[in-house]
Amino acid sequence: MKLSRRALLGSGLSLAAGRKAAGRSREQEQQSFTSPDHVGVLVDTTLCIGCRKCEEACNRRNRLPRTAEPFSDKNVFNYFRRPSANAFTVVNRFEGSPSADQEGIAHTYVKVQCMHCLYPSCVSACIVGALTKADDGAVVYNPSICIGCRYCQISCPFEIPAYEFHVALTPRVRKCEFCSDPARGKGADPACAAACPTEALVFGRRADLVAMAKERIKRRPERYVDRIYGETEVGGTSWLYLIGRPVEEIGLLELPDIPPPQRTEAIQHGIFNYGIIPIAFYGLLSGLLWYQKRKYPEEPPDADGSKDDPSADGGAP
Amino acid sequence: MTAAARNGRPQRVARPLFTPGILTLMIFMGIGFSFGITRFLLGLGSVTNLNDRNPWGIWIAFDVACGVALAAGGFTTAALVEIFGRRRYKPLLRPALLTAFLGYLWVAVALIFDLGRYWNVWRPIFNWQGNSVLFEVGMCVVFYLLVLAVEISPSILEGLKSRIDRGERGAALLRRVERPILAVHAWARTVMPLFVAAGVVLSFMHQSSLGTLMLIAPTKLSPLWHTPVLPVLFLLSAIMVGFPMVIVESIYAGISLGRRPEMELLTPLARIIPALLGCYGIVKIGDLAVRYGDLDFYSHPAATVSLAVEILLGVALPFLLLLHKAVRRSVGWLFFSVSLIVFGVILNRINVYLVGYNPPYSTRAYFPSVGEIALTIAIVSGLLFCYRLFVTFFPILPGTEPAAEARPALEHPEPGRAVGPSWVWIVRGSAAAILAVFIAVYSLVHTQAIRATARMVSQVERVRAQARAPAASAPSAAYPLRPSAYRNFYWLDSPLLRAASDDYEPVAFAHRIHDNLTGGDCAVCHHRHAASDGDRVGEDIGNLHALMDIKLGGPCATCHGDMAQNPPQACAHCHGLPNEDDAPSRIGLKGAYHRQCIGCHQRRIVPAPAPTECNSCHHPWTPDHSLLVTLPAKPAPQDVTRNCLGCHPKAGHDVLKSAHWNWKGHSRTLAGNEHRTDIGLSMVLSNYCIAMGPNLQQCSSCHIGYGELGAAFDFDDPQRIDCLVCHDTTGTYKKDPDQAGLPYAELDLNAIARKVGRPSRSNCGSCHFASGGAANAKHGDLEPELAHAAESLDVHMGTLHMRCQDCHTTAEHRIAGASLSAPAVEGRVACEKCHGSAPHGVSGMLSRHLDDHVRAIACETCHIPSYARLSPTLLRRDYSAAGQDRAAGANRFGRPEYDKRFGTLTWGKDLVPVYLWYDGTRRAVLAGDAVDPSSPVVLNGPVGEKRNPAARIFPFKAHTAVQPYDSERKVLALPRLVEGYWTHFDWGKAIAEGMKLMGLEYSGKYGFIETTMYSGIHHTVTAADKALGCADCHAPQAVSCTRCHKNARQMDLPRHRLAAYPGVKRRLDFKALGYADDPALIGGRFYVSLGRGTPPR
Repeated sequence: MKLSRRALLGSGLSLAAGRKAAGRSREQEQQSFTSPDHVGVLVDTTLCIGCRKCEEACNRRNRLPRTAEPFSDKNVFNYFRRPSANAFTVVNRFEGSPSADQEGIAHTYVKVQCMHCLYPSCVSACIVGALTKADDGAVVYNPSICIGCRYCQISCPFEIPAYEFHVALTPRVRKCEFCSDPARGKGADPACAAACPTEALVFGRRADLVAMAKERIKRRPERYVDRIYGETEVGGTSWLYLIGRPVEEIGLLELPDIPPPQRTEAIQHGIFNYGIIPIAFYGLLSGLLWYQKRKYPEEPPDADGSKDDPSADGGAP
Repeated sequence: MTAAARNGRPQRVARPLFTPGILTLMIFMGIGFSFGITRFLLGLGSVTNLNDRNPWGIWIAFDVACGVALAAGGFTTAALVEIFGRRRYKPLLRPALLTAFLGYLWVAVALIFDLGRYWNVWRPIFNWQGNSVLFEVGMCVVFYLLVLAVEISPSILEGLKSRIDRGERGAALLRRVERPILAVHAWARTVMPLFVAAGVVLSFMHQSSLGTLMLIAPTKLSPLWHTPVLPVLFLLSAIMVGFPMVIVESIYAGISLGRRPEMELLTPLARIIPALLGCYGIVKIGDLAVRYGDLDFYSHPAATVSLAVEILLGVALPFLLLLHKAVRRSVGWLFFSVSLIVFGVILNRINVYLVGYNPPYSTRAYFPSVGEIALTIAIVSGLLFCYRLFVTFFPILPGTEPAAEARPALEHPEPGRAVGPSWVWIVRGSAAAILAVFIAVYSLVHTQAIRATARMVSQVERVRAQARAPAASAPSAAYPLRPSAYRNFYWLDSPLLRAASDDYEPVAFAHRIHDNLTGGDCAVCHHRHAASDGDRVGEDIGNLHALMDIKLGGPCATCHGDMAQNPPQACAHCHGLPNEDDAPSRIGLKGAYHRQCIGCHQRRIVPAPAPTECNSCHHPWTPDHSLLVTLPAKPAPQDVTRNCLGCHPKAGHDVLKSAHWNWKGHSRTLAGNEHRTDIGLSMVLSNYCIAMGPNLQQCSSCHIGYGELGAAFDFDDPQRIDCLVCHDTTGTYKKDPDQAGLPYAELDLNAIARKVGRPSRSNCGSCHFASGGAANAKHGDLEPELAHAAESLDVHMGTLHMRCQDCHTTAEHRIAGASLSAPAVEGRVACEKCHGSAPHGVSGMLSRHLDDHVRAIACETCHIPSYARLSPTLLRRDYSAAGQDRAAGANRFGRPEYDKRFGTLTWGKDLVPVYLWYDGTRRAVLAGDAVDPSSPVVLNGPVGEKRNPAARIFPFKAHTAVQPYDSERKVLALPRLVEGYWTHFDWGKAIAEGMKLMGLEYSGKYGFIETTMYSGIHHTVTAADKALGCADCHAPQAVSCTRCHKNARQMDLPRHRLAAYPGVKRRLDFKALGYADDPALIGGRFYVSLGRGTPPR
């Protein structure tokens, strides 16, 4: 309760003061939502060669439908793709070398998938808790209780959850679940990272990955932009990106550091916790009602209108 | 009249129900709900324009969000009448409550259409998720629907009661439940105040939460609408639109039902509206003003316009209008003003949910589909239709006809008639308890959700405490499924280390080629050097050499000689395990290999461009077919093929077009016939078994099909393909030479088919090693030992274990390679494809001299110094001596020297090839071609001469024979041997039979003619140190270094200068090849003088 009120106040203030203020207060307001148990993947966009092995591995591990063209087909890079119900991860190609010190390499490849936020919007949004965050950080989906409202899609800042719009009876929300199945005691074990031939994807504990990413930036300052995409965005994500170019150029989004659900939850819990405000409001209304009843006791309906004097502009025409 | 209207108790509308208007509504409903049924049958995507970028459309924005907002008339009127005691508006209450009730009911209906898993709609009742705003909305809507049902119940019960009293249809049935009706009616009226208050609270909660709903998407919802006060705005706008909705509905219902609008109530009601509009307007404008700096009015002009319309038309204009008394009193102006407010609120909701919702990755703006619009119209029609039904059957609208007041008592039972005074408080208490339970449950949900969030923090604390404890558990223990070999990371399995589990076979890395291609610069790959075995980080090679003022890039061997000292370290020395404490950025072996390889391969390297596709280095593993193959217990060969084609239809299609299947194809290397595609093997003559055409039955045993290749063979039937002969990996599959392509009957085809894989050298060899009738008899360089070659026999197959198809590249079952004897060519094989045009490296001092040879001499010439090294090959046969009953007389190789069928046979082993110019094309004698018997006939031979710049000197095997010909017509004879000459040993009869079978004329007279047949020597490539030396071909005085390098006395290269095979004299006959003398003395064919340096390459 205390936390939420403070958060409510904080978020409200910062919102009111505008987005610039959010940037300024990054240091002060940044809360850590990570735990040492959390795992993640470090994506080094300067090492990705666009081989699409991760897509293939994902497709196989998740038993997704066969694709029209083989995974060796590079023509898919001709258009910008997003994860869909049949592809939990996709690699996109962008013109230009991945970083300033990689001259001669014509393209930058960027893999996208669920970021497994540390403070996931979809988990907060889900009306029945079909989306949950496992202990190791994977955001997983339980279709058996999902009602198909698609609020998770609305809420996700990365626009990841995809929906089976063409399934009539049992459509599911589809997204990367970190190849995990916590219900069966199976932790995150991403097939894409295991398949990556250049170790552009490194799977490990998130804390270690952050350290590793910082080490890489320190060793190759000319190669990397001095930030880890996903370290603080929307409260931090399990997937981290090392980038050699500004994020907007490679199809990633510049996002605020405050987790969006923190605001809505602060509003919700601030108002409704323990039902204090609704109960008080209900009491107030009941009191008014009781006062009205006492002041104007029940009368035969016939007398209803005549009792009330017509107000200034009422009355008979 | 006016008094009657004002005092009118609620009455049923006594007008015919099925008016044209109602019928129109029903048509709308029919159209819309047919779309709705389509949605249930085929899914949301079939009817709507929804997609992953815009998951919510008008079914949510209009049907749900606007529906809830516009149903606000229920709670505002109830509050006004009951809580604020404005009793004179009571006639408006019931229609308002009915509208609200029907509104929420149809919201629920719309939701069922929109929810993907609508059959799970009850889940939130049991699966609480208190963090979710949507959960809050959902639960409030459900409870408010119940509250509204209680609030509306007196009207319904009174309607039923009057039906009983008037004895209308159904009265007899209803009379049985008359007492319960009265009891419930009394109960409802007693607890009504509690429910009125509850309705207001619930409405406040979910009306505001509908605004909070979109706050979770700050990056998607335009800042024009995304504000922390959005819930307040939603609540205020709902309150604001309540009375306008009541007025709209009252006027509209009045007009459509032919009643006079109750202006004496609506006009005073309208007086309240400007105040509410003002409240909303102040907050709305104030919010925009506070956030003005952040607003972007220009990037989405449509959104800005929409916002302006929403404020100016929906709030400001009606505010100004309604301040005027004249407007409030005029039916038309009042209707117009309040309609503007309703429109404004609808636009606001659509703005927030659709117009302002701009996901960054959206490429196309959402616009509702026909189906969505039709269903929305149907929902609205349904609402209006239900309203009409209700006012027809139940007393909702205030009565207008005085006659209706005749029997008031029947429709208004006295309060408390069923519930005694002492029970009143018990009833009220129970109702209050129900509400209290709801609120308690509700707050519990929230508390739970907060705890869930807090659990994360406590979890952090728990693990921290564990870490502080001295005996911290190993991190990998929590994830038993991961390899625990690594201390800090759960590592990826390297395919190179665990090849069997991955999709690809490991790469056989040809180190020497790469050494040449890098220009002898080892540091391209071996970039660091560790001083000791334990050191896994090492020192940068560049730094090490910089200390000594040595620039990297040249051939390392210039200084390092044999690399005995400071040998380059294997990649695995450092990259065996990735990312440990000493170098956290270090990658594993898999990554190290790939990054080094791909980095170079992506650059275009001259002269040999590196392959970039994954499968050009890695061969995909064949999946285990033991579970995929489904065959009967004793399958016929064609059952196997059918089973293969079931999964690989394209492979069958490809094979049908291949040369291995058709035994003919585009003969583009056949001089004079470059554009023909009809020359098949049956038109070709050889001097082994002479001709295939008349002997198809035996020859078919090497065809990749089942059945004799006669006229009856269907070349378009993929089920005749013999998949197993190439794809068998067990080594047990064998074709029966007497069964025209069919395998031996006793083979277990089931077991063989379950173990299919990529063809190995044995598969290809099963035909190609044995051509000519015995092992290596025909080709001379295709020795059966190649199937398991030692390095001394063939460097590619012996050391790199390359398969045939590594060089004979295969696509769609078309296999590259051109033989001198087979007409069809499906691609060429060349050493240069991998080795480039300067293959001798840069490190050796002779490299340049050797590379100069490449333009005149094929690689095979030096690197295959001899052929038939292990298995003897046939050199000559004399058919003129055939047919005699002589002893076979095995020679020193254990091969027969005479066969009654073939005549005398001459064998050879470890032979020196014949060297001829060859430009890649060949000439051949085809069946029916005239020959000159005066000199030996070359059946097929290479085309080329010294002056032809495309020609190079290649090694060949020459096979000579004496074979029959039509001595009159001067054409070579095509005798029938199998079931012909080999049975009756009568050449004349055999030739006559054979020529007839081939449709050729035969004069009846035959003689014997000397023929020669060449075949290229391309296999059994030796290692570089076994290749020819300079003196093997050139005169010893010609290869003296000091002849040119006058003062280079130290420059002595005995190994290369000396002949590697001194026993072979005059290996290359330069005169016969067209040179005046040894080109080392007089200059090659592209330049003549030596001594002035060679021309630049």
